[in-house]
Amino acid sequence: MGEVIVITSGKGGVGKTTTTANVGVGLAMRNKKVALVDADIGLRNLDLVLGLENRIVFDLVDVVEGRCKLRNALVKDKRFDGLYLLPAAQTRDKTAVKPEQMIKLCNDLRKEFDFVLIDCPAGIEQGFNNAVVAADRAIVVTTPEVSAVRDADRVIGLLEAKELRNPRLLINRIRNDMVRRGEMMSIEDVKDILAVDIIGIVPDDEKIVISTNRGEPVITDGKSLAGQAYNNIARRILGEDVPLLDLEGHDEGFMLKLKKFLGIKN
Amino acid sequence: MSDNGVIFKATKDGLIIIMNKELEFDEIYNEINKKLISAGNFFKGASLGVKYRGRKLSEEEIKIICELMTQKTETTISSFEEETNNLGFNTDIKEENTIKENGFIKYDMRKETYSNDIKSILHSREEEGITKFYRGTVRSGQLISYDGNIVILGDVNPGAEIQAGGNIIVMGWLRGTVHAGMYGNDKAIVASLSLQPVQLRIANIITRPPDEQKYESPSVPEIAFVKDNMIFIESFLPQK
Repeated sequence: MGEVIVITSGKGGVGKTTTTANVGVGLAMRNKKVALVDADIGLRNLDLVLGLENRIVFDLVDVVEGRCKLRNALVKDKRFDGLYLLPAAQTRDKTAVKPEQMIKLCNDLRKEFDFVLIDCPAGIEQGFNNAVVAADRAIVVTTPEVSAVRDADRVIGLLEAKELRNPRLLINRIRNDMVRRGEMMSIEDVKDILAVDIIGIVPDDEKIVISTNRGEPVITDGKSLAGQAYNNIARRILGEDVPLLDLEGHDEGFMLKLKKFLGIKN
Repeated sequence: MSDNGVIFKATKDGLIIIMNKELEFDEIYNEINKKLISAGNFFKGASLGVKYRGRKLSEEEIKIICELMTQKTETTISSFEEETNNLGFNTDIKEENTIKENGFIKYDMRKETYSNDIKSILHSREEEGITKFYRGTVRSGQLISYDGNIVILGDVNPGAEIQAGGNIIVMGWLRGTVHAGMYGNDKAIVASLSLQPVQLRIANIITRPPDEQKYESPSVPEIAFVKDNMIFIESFLPQK
């Protein structure tokens, strides 16, 4: 039986879709069978990030309304075996799916896949309810900004009310130089407010923009720091104990880089 | 097709018999017989060139029908043959003129030899029918669906969907998903001033552009149509 993980945030634009795509690819790279479900009906994006837009024939709404079989709506990824996308309908809205239908859909997917990752829409209305109703675990994505943290706090409260206890936190778009200057909340600050376990931190990385526009998840780029961060998150989901990415040093001076390269420890 | 499976259609050259493919020859024979009786003296004394379509007939069967017709109507059958091509155009396009790119098939437009073929395809597929006109940009998430033809006076953005029972014409950029002939009519066409769809479907055939980022479609108006169960795309402007 596979596990259903919902990726949510409350606030929009913090990186739910990017996280879903990259973690999904990370798990598939480790030979897991993964289904990515885009629950953002009417504003679908996950297919673009994965570069699969032009392969979509049927979608989630077609499946729940019985116009096609689940198997026919799943889009196979072009790079990784075992990675599939269930796209959202673009010409419908959130009311097209009911929570009971979502539970049935997830139970069907659970039988076939090791992991089912649900990309939750922004907001806390019906789309959110549909996305979290069948989940076993939740990952809450936030950025180190007061607005995103406030929304994450609200969502964690809602998740707990829905018996989804102990969601894990992903802090996205950390800029270490700003944190050091005291201009951005640090990981500790966010942790203090939200008081949940952290599943990973992802540094701000302009490669995310490039990879999103190309439809190639950044995790496939071994040199990207954000890609490494997502790799670590995938490993943690699989139960490995991986230390958080050391962001110090990646924007330090040349001498420190050189010392690291030569293996000299301070 | 009418409920009884056989239709007589008069043309200036004679008579066309349209038969339902599903029917056995015996039934066809009976239907034709009934029709001839109900026509009474209409054909009497005439000399008819007869064509038939909708079903293949063997030599034997042709002979039987000819005999029946001369006997019942006192006409002379001057000819009796299968109707081949509605308009008499040669719609065969030579295989060597096509290039396959990742399932995206295009004509090599540098070869001018088949401009006549393009013309014949355009003409043989022209159809009349009810048409919906839409003015403005069709944006992501919008769906325009119509049983007849659709003409868009504007652009179709990625994420938008156009579905038509007949043809789809976009007087602008076509960058969304289109489905022409959605009830299975593979004679339907899609044409646009700039044809760059996310996905293009005609009847039950689906194509998409190749994955390479560098691929750019030529900036000329293009037309997509089905031939041999494949979607072909080519310029519909006269070859210069």
